[in-house]
Amino acid sequence: MSMSGYTTQRHINDHYDVVGFISSGTYGRVYKAKSKPGRPVQQGPTGKPIEAFAIKKFKPDKEGELQYTGISQSAIREMALCTELSHPNLITLVEIILESKCIFMVFEYAEHDLLQIIHWHTTHPRTPIPATMLRSIMHQLLSGLLYLHRNWVLHRDLKPANIMITSSGCIKIGDLGLARLFHAPLAALFSGDKVVVTIWYRAPELLLGSRHYTPAIDLWAVGCIMGELVSQRPMFKGEEAKMEGKKLVPFQRGQMGRICEVLGIPKRDEWPLLSAMPEFGQLQGLAGSVPGASRPVGLEKWWDGVCRTSGYASANATAATAPPNREGLDLLRRLLTFDPLQRITAEQAQGHPYFSAASASAVPSSASASTPTSTSAVPAAGNGTHAAAEFANCFLNVPHTYPPRKVSAEDNDIRVLSATNSMPNTGAGIKRSALPDESLARGGALKRVKEG
Amino acid sequence: MAANYWDSTQARYWTFTKEELKEMELQLFQANRNLITKYPLPEQRLLNIFLQGQLLKLGRRMNLRQQALATAQVYVRRFYTKVEIRKTNPYLLMTTAVYLACKMEESPVHIRLMLAEAARQWPELGINDSSKIGECEFALISTLQARLVLHHPYRTLTDLAPTFSMSTEEISLAHSIINDHYNTDLPLMHPPHIIAVTAIFLAIVLRPNQTGLQQHSAGAASAERIQANMNQALSIISGTMGKQHHAKLGRLVEWLTESDINMEAVISSTQELISLYEVWEGYSERPCKEAISRFMKDGLGK
Repeated sequence: MSMSGYTTQRHINDHYDVVGFISSGTYGRVYKAKSKPGRPVQQGPTGKPIEAFAIKKFKPDKEGELQYTGISQSAIREMALCTELSHPNLITLVEIILESKCIFMVFEYAEHDLLQIIHWHTTHPRTPIPATMLRSIMHQLLSGLLYLHRNWVLHRDLKPANIMITSSGCIKIGDLGLARLFHAPLAALFSGDKVVVTIWYRAPELLLGSRHYTPAIDLWAVGCIMGELVSQRPMFKGEEAKMEGKKLVPFQRGQMGRICEVLGIPKRDEWPLLSAMPEFGQLQGLAGSVPGASRPVGLEKWWDGVCRTSGYASANATAATAPPNREGLDLLRRLLTFDPLQRITAEQAQGHPYFSAASASAVPSSASASTPTSTSAVPAAGNGTHAAAEFANCFLNVPHTYPPRKVSAEDNDIRVLSATNSMPNTGAGIKRSALPDESLARGGALKRVKEG
Repeated sequence: MAANYWDSTQARYWTFTKEELKEMELQLFQANRNLITKYPLPEQRLLNIFLQGQLLKLGRRMNLRQQALATAQVYVRRFYTKVEIRKTNPYLLMTTAVYLACKMEESPVHIRLMLAEAARQWPELGINDSSKIGECEFALISTLQARLVLHHPYRTLTDLAPTFSMSTEEISLAHSIINDHYNTDLPLMHPPHIIAVTAIFLAIVLRPNQTGLQQHSAGAASAERIQANMNQALSIISGTMGKQHHAKLGRLVEWLTESDINMEAVISSTQELISLYEVWEGYSERPCKEAISRFMKDGLGK
């Protein structure tokens, strides 16, 4: 190809100073970076200057081979969707630089993520995640998810590690590598990626082999995340059964078992299409192999139990230790509804009484003891921009100071090929063969069209 | 995006006025004056028809969906608004556009299979190394600024067809007209719903069940006949002819006047399409193929 598209090509090292390495995955590596001094200041969607960046570097598919192997579908999805989407609760893409056979996606930096926050709380015993913070996180998470779903995007990989928090308490849904448009898919969603969603957050319909799944799978994951925020450990921590060969997707008995230990084995009266699930037959055996499944804890008992073990106060609560209000339990129950058709949607969830209740916690700071019914009857507060503003900073009045993200300064070499910063010419070296036989090329579709 | 076209990158960055398109063309011309003079090409729409035909052949060979091909064609169209075609290998660009479009439309094809099929379809491709496609993919994404999500008119057609009780033949004709519109500047100028409404309008005006047109692409329709039908239809719109003339058409016209759809855009799109079919009458594959071969032979991509 002509390289005229590259005459204004930006080079990663001209614009960013890498501070250090953040993390790595199958896709490549993520670095923290700052703008080079003297370079124009990048602005975020709110017009505020962006101070730090997270640069996600996709390596070429094959390790060590310095040639173009085609960009992975996951990287293509992430590039295209991040370019297309814009929402306060979605990670902000600053730019994409294609250089030296690598893709650099430059994002606005977020200081924290939910996994790291949860980890901090588990290593500081008896410090639960404050109820106000939990409510704000949930509201922002649902706002971002509602935006995705309204734009026909399934995230398909929601989990604490993929949910970022800026230092000003704004939730940012990240990692759209598994996300995809679901409006009128060309093929059954199942045929594309046989396995989606990290096992602990995988919805029961996926575990039961559903071929056509819906935005409801993201809401299940949100439920698992909510449970994890309250209990500070993965809610359903199942063992993943490994794929046998490339074709066979095994039944995830362990994961389904963990879910059933809390919620019980799904029954047809709560999930009418249950028996249509490909792995329906496997459920019968579950009662025998997972003892807890036939005598489930039940969500309410689970909730009360984890509220105790997480350190929420049962009496003399402060703002930092008051347990979440009971409406939160109801929201969780609706998020973790077995039947995907009955599971609460992102839009319904945003309007849930949990968010309009006068207080985030079951023990309001005012003296008057609240009954759930009276607090949930407070009108209007749960709707519109008022609510969004109220929940915009999840760190508001939170007494904890979370440590910044770990950045290793040892590896700050983002460059791949220092020697060739310029793109070679794609059109180069193409030797033309003699003109093809004209008669071969004729009589095709267009010829017919023309004659018609 | 899918829910809100008006917020999409297509609406914000890849929709132009006629004047803007002319300006871009002029810029390309000025930057490549010698090249363009040295290697004359058939007019843009004929070239587009040729490229689309080539894409269709590849699509049939590989059993690809229409929508992936439409996406690939728009990528090619967008690319050539920024890069002079004579500096490129159009067969490589088409191969790459299909490769990328298949990933975007969630029906990915392996890069080596892509190369093998394209090389079999086009001896002109002249490439035996799949990394060339990978390299071209970088250039394509970079030139398109990673704005790869597209809004096609097909969905609006499907949504609106019942409103106008369109017959299967009319729907399939409207579908063909949408396919054809990718050969004009329309996909770079108007929102997809304008194109869909235009296609519906034309399909109903052309009355395929009366003419047996459904056996062919809309491109097969005689331009004169379209013109005749069109004049009739336009006179209905302008009110000089009674609406009872054609019940279905009447309903459509009524709907158009009641909706707040940009009628000016629909009318100019209609004219653009009629003009395309006139140009199509004079289409022949050979001059396009040869003209491309001439600049490719001289290896201008170097």
